[in-house]
Amino acid sequence: MDAINTSDLDIADRRVDPFLMSVLKSRFEAIVREMTLVVMRASRSAVIKNARDFSCAILTFDHKLVSVEDALPIHVMSMDMATRPLTELFDDIARGDIFLNNCPYTGGTHHADLIMAMPVFHEGEPLFWVVALSHHADTGAPVPSTYLPFAKNIFEEGLHFPCVRVAQDYREKQDILRIGTMRNRVPDMWLGDVRAQIGACRTGERRIGELFARYGRDTIMGFVEDWFDYGARCAKAAIAKLPAGSYTYETRHDPVPGVAEEGIPVRVTIHVDPEKGEIVVDARDNIDNVAGGLNLSENTATGSCRIGVFNNLDESVPHNEGAKSQIKVLLREGSVVGKPKYPVGTSVATTNVNDRLMIAGNCVFAEMGAPHGQAESGNHLPAGVGVISGHDPFKNGKPYVNQVFVGYAGGGARHGFDGWLTYCGPANAGLIQLDSVEVDESMYPIVIERRGVLPGSQGFGEFEGAPAMAGVFYPLDHDMTIVYAADGTSFPPRGVLGGGDGKESESIKLAGSERVVLPAFAEETIEEGAKIAFTACGGGGYGDPLKRDPRRVAATVNRGWLSREAAETVYKVALVEGGELGVLVVDEARTRTLRAA
Amino acid sequence: MAYQVCIDIGGTFTDCLVSNSKGEIAIFKSPTTPGEFEKGFIDVLHVAAEGYGLTPADFMKQVDLIVHGSTVSTNALVERKTVKVGLILTEGHQDILVLREGPRKGAFQWRLDYPDPYVPRHLTRTVGGRIDARGRELVALSLDDIGKAAADFRALGVEAVAVGLLWSVVNPAHELAVRDLLERELPGIPITLSHEINPMPREYKRIIAAAIDASINPIVRTYIEKLKTALDDERFGGELLLANCVGGMMPLADMIRKPIYSVMSGPTLAPMAALALSDEPDIIVGDMGGTTFDVSALRDHQIIVTPDSMIHDDSLGIPKVDVRSVGAGGGSIAFVDEGGLLRVGPRSAGARPGPACYGKGGTEPTVTDANVVLGIVDPDYFLGGKMQLRRDLAEAAVGSIAARLGVSLHEAAYAIYTTSNHNMVAAIEEITVREGINPRDSFFVCGGGATAIHIAEMADILSLKRYMIPRFMAGLSAFGGLISDIRNEESAVFLTSSATFDAAGAADTLRRLRRTGDGFLAEAGVAAENRQFEFAFLGRYEYQSFEIEVPFEAEGGMLTDDDLPGLVEAFHRMHERIYSIRADNDVVEFTAWKLRAIGKRSGQDIWQRNTLADQAGDVAPKAKRGVYRQESGRVDELPVYEMGDLGAGVRLAGPCLVEAETFTAYLKDRHHGEIDRYGNLVVAVA
Repeated sequence: MDAINTSDLDIADRRVDPFLMSVLKSRFEAIVREMTLVVMRASRSAVIKNARDFSCAILTFDHKLVSVEDALPIHVMSMDMATRPLTELFDDIARGDIFLNNCPYTGGTHHADLIMAMPVFHEGEPLFWVVALSHHADTGAPVPSTYLPFAKNIFEEGLHFPCVRVAQDYREKQDILRIGTMRNRVPDMWLGDVRAQIGACRTGERRIGELFARYGRDTIMGFVEDWFDYGARCAKAAIAKLPAGSYTYETRHDPVPGVAEEGIPVRVTIHVDPEKGEIVVDARDNIDNVAGGLNLSENTATGSCRIGVFNNLDESVPHNEGAKSQIKVLLREGSVVGKPKYPVGTSVATTNVNDRLMIAGNCVFAEMGAPHGQAESGNHLPAGVGVISGHDPFKNGKPYVNQVFVGYAGGGARHGFDGWLTYCGPANAGLIQLDSVEVDESMYPIVIERRGVLPGSQGFGEFEGAPAMAGVFYPLDHDMTIVYAADGTSFPPRGVLGGGDGKESESIKLAGSERVVLPAFAEETIEEGAKIAFTACGGGGYGDPLKRDPRRVAATVNRGWLSREAAETVYKVALVEGGELGVLVVDEARTRTLRAA
Repeated sequence: MAYQVCIDIGGTFTDCLVSNSKGEIAIFKSPTTPGEFEKGFIDVLHVAAEGYGLTPADFMKQVDLIVHGSTVSTNALVERKTVKVGLILTEGHQDILVLREGPRKGAFQWRLDYPDPYVPRHLTRTVGGRIDARGRELVALSLDDIGKAAADFRALGVEAVAVGLLWSVVNPAHELAVRDLLERELPGIPITLSHEINPMPREYKRIIAAAIDASINPIVRTYIEKLKTALDDERFGGELLLANCVGGMMPLADMIRKPIYSVMSGPTLAPMAALALSDEPDIIVGDMGGTTFDVSALRDHQIIVTPDSMIHDDSLGIPKVDVRSVGAGGGSIAFVDEGGLLRVGPRSAGARPGPACYGKGGTEPTVTDANVVLGIVDPDYFLGGKMQLRRDLAEAAVGSIAARLGVSLHEAAYAIYTTSNHNMVAAIEEITVREGINPRDSFFVCGGGATAIHIAEMADILSLKRYMIPRFMAGLSAFGGLISDIRNEESAVFLTSSATFDAAGAADTLRRLRRTGDGFLAEAGVAAENRQFEFAFLGRYEYQSFEIEVPFEAEGGMLTDDDLPGLVEAFHRMHERIYSIRADNDVVEFTAWKLRAIGKRSGQDIWQRNTLADQAGDVAPKAKRGVYRQESGRVDELPVYEMGDLGAGVRLAGPCLVEAETFTAYLKDRHHGEIDRYGNLVVAVA
């Protein structure tokens, strides 16, 4: 059992009995889980159902995060920003109200994430917010996508709801919903998804009401304070183990023609104070807003700065207000990574540059030296997760359009662990399902000729990045269009502390014997007979490859991810047949010689 | 006298439930014998014979049926002691078992390596050849590649082969050709084809099932053969049936053909028992043992089958009765974390060293230790007094938690007790909320040795109004085996949609399924009048990527164009039930068709003939015992009743304890119990 210093427990400051702590913690978690299931069960669109692109949370009425479960980190680490404007803008918040917020200038993440918030009252006193956020399939933008890298300002984006009351006295406001459905390409789906969120909020409100009835106001509110203290204690204990100092890391998003010809550098400095158990994340030293949709919102910039830190703390630290309060974020207005200057576009604020910000946050800890930090990971939106469209020849030319998840990028290495293969970019954190070949082929008129791991594409190191995923797919008997935004083509994931880089993303059209390299950000037609070949970045390596445990090298070769030759040239590890048939083991003597040379 | 027997092999004990021709049931136990389970199997039959005052030979002569829930395949999988499997996949798709559909992980969980595939790369080969979604051959099968794979497998000493080729479910020609060639090249090596073991159009699920099936094939076959030999030696002349994971029994020959159906079959018998014990529509079944709490549910008095069962880092592939397991048992260890929060489990003291109070060297505080400190468990009457527990060791262990939290010993014990209850409640809510069952309106059936200690508080947390503590709670799964049907599931892929419905093709698919199902029941010796067939299809809305299972009526398994509106409406309804919405204007796609073949056995309801005599008036408690109760904040003297003394109609009012040799039940305030005519304690909460 872990050694515990009893004096740290602040028993004297305790507000509720210790048994109630565990009990109410699990009650609040159960409420968020039930809200999550309501959204999951009742939503219509594939992004929500399959890709789980939604999150639920409970906050106190003064905007402190109480509980999140099974949420996408980017949705919830700064949820307070989306509810805070509500108490500033409204002086008549009442029981049965529900508010809608998707505006980056009133605390939203980006236009496609509709945030629904409902106050929870107890005997006339507002005490909590229950919140459900869903990424909607369409927001009525000028083009049929929710990611618009070229949309310079909000007038080129989808519809904004800058804190709008969508229900009053438990009744939906039809006029508000009409605004939403009128400007939407899939109005039924939009309304269905909105109602799923309303259902989740009402479930959360009812369940918290039951908690009040069972335990009473003072116990519940006392618990919340204890719970925040606990979160702060856990975060402080984790931060206390880090070396004091200031550390800086810079990564760079690929060039986007017409928006950022040189790419977009993303720079983060952290100031670590182990004695106070506090980390300040400073992202102010970044370039000004760009003329496109790649700018972050204040919400995503703040959240991503915290996510980088949490990715480097023990996963058992609760992700509540107490823990968050130990991580301070500094942003600059008018910066691409910061508070956007009205009315610049932010429609891609949850992926691309945002992914780079999380990557910088993950990697800056490596500046402390081993065992801290992690290497750069692969980026999102390669052609393997492109939006495909066309006219289905097997359905009388019926049009189809959807995002596929055939292959996506791998994760970066960290000390002690190789990168996660099915990673899909830092915002998705390995939570997104990979498509079944047969399901895709039965749904769309395509053939996925190959899809798998690309050996030798990982960033080498004492710990290896995940290898790249690569594949080839093609349309059957028709022309197919594909849209993608493959960051990591020009600036692939870098290794840290001597680790190697992961392989870059590739988008290639195969037509007969011809190989045409496609641009990294594009909308391309793959004609009948032609094929698209993609590579989704491998992750960067961590530490000196010559320090890699030879047994790990042998395992990687046996897994088919590394050649025997590379084991000798890169890792100076010699392998021989031995033991189980068909399995290589370390040739200890030759390895010693190789590594000594 | 004729006897029917169910033998359920657990981690520590092999349970044997015997019913005589009057329906009187008795339970016998003998230690499990790992490595040679058939020994414990025969041992417990001898114990039963002795219990009836018969020689083993005389007893075995009168046994006409043995049903058995084997754990041999589950153990092999859990301990990763399966045989060496060679895997053949489609060229270009060598990583199907590596990628899965993206393994699950937590959002901030980074201290982990990516899991290895179920079949390692050096035993995986790909072959050229490709079928498309419509069954057309895009690339011809490479016989050369198969020949090379066979030669490699021979050289590598492969003991079983799994074949998983893309779209074998719509055109099996390539998989069948692979088998033809392999059978010649690798005589005697069992071969599992993915389209036969798990016909569904989702390659990872289909192929992982084939790989798991192949990897346990020789193990299950050997075990069944040993069992048969051992029973032959005992001159057993009756019938032996094996439990499968779809909630029924199957003959040996079928289990040898599809050994994957034996995986995790034991726990699926608990919901089958509940199905027989209660007529309630929505039932939750909880089974708390030493290391885990298994929970399952019945909706509309039907078992729930899930396609999402996991074993280590992989899906089981095939659908099975939904039983979820969490690390919350009597042996779960309590600790205080860095921030000062009490946590219980999932780490367990297991059977060795076990809880501190077992006196076998364990020092860490467990749930059982807390129950001893609270006074709910009597250290002198554990397993009917056959095992002495040490209160002093329990107090010392729980004392460490009390010191950490700065509370009294009793308060610490209660904190462990209630935290453990909340962990189990979370598991119950997970299954009920997901399945659209309201715990407040559900009936709860307790199983396993420890559930009845915890049910009262869990019921209060869930606002559950009624629960049952069955007379044979500790052997609930074995009871389920004794009363369950013969059952098998068959499925076939046939893709069509409501826009272009091919009724003839669907009807042909159903006819083939029906023939297979009939054959199965005939082989199992089920008379024609005792055969039932249930049909279902897997469907989805166009561009949805998950299928749901939709039962439908098909008279004699026939389908015509006229049936389409009915099928579509059944789909909309099921979709609305599971996901709360329906899309009347969307195209419905049909992907696979399923048949459940059910055979009723004679004598499976015989237990209902054995009823208890009514008992009027008050019953005196056998003792009083001090139990710490959080609601009063002190130790209260509670009456203790002996289950065996209670006749039908006896009423008990909580707070009180009820003890039997195999369990202790704790009824709280406002919990009123009544013994039903079968001897079960049914509790209502006021």
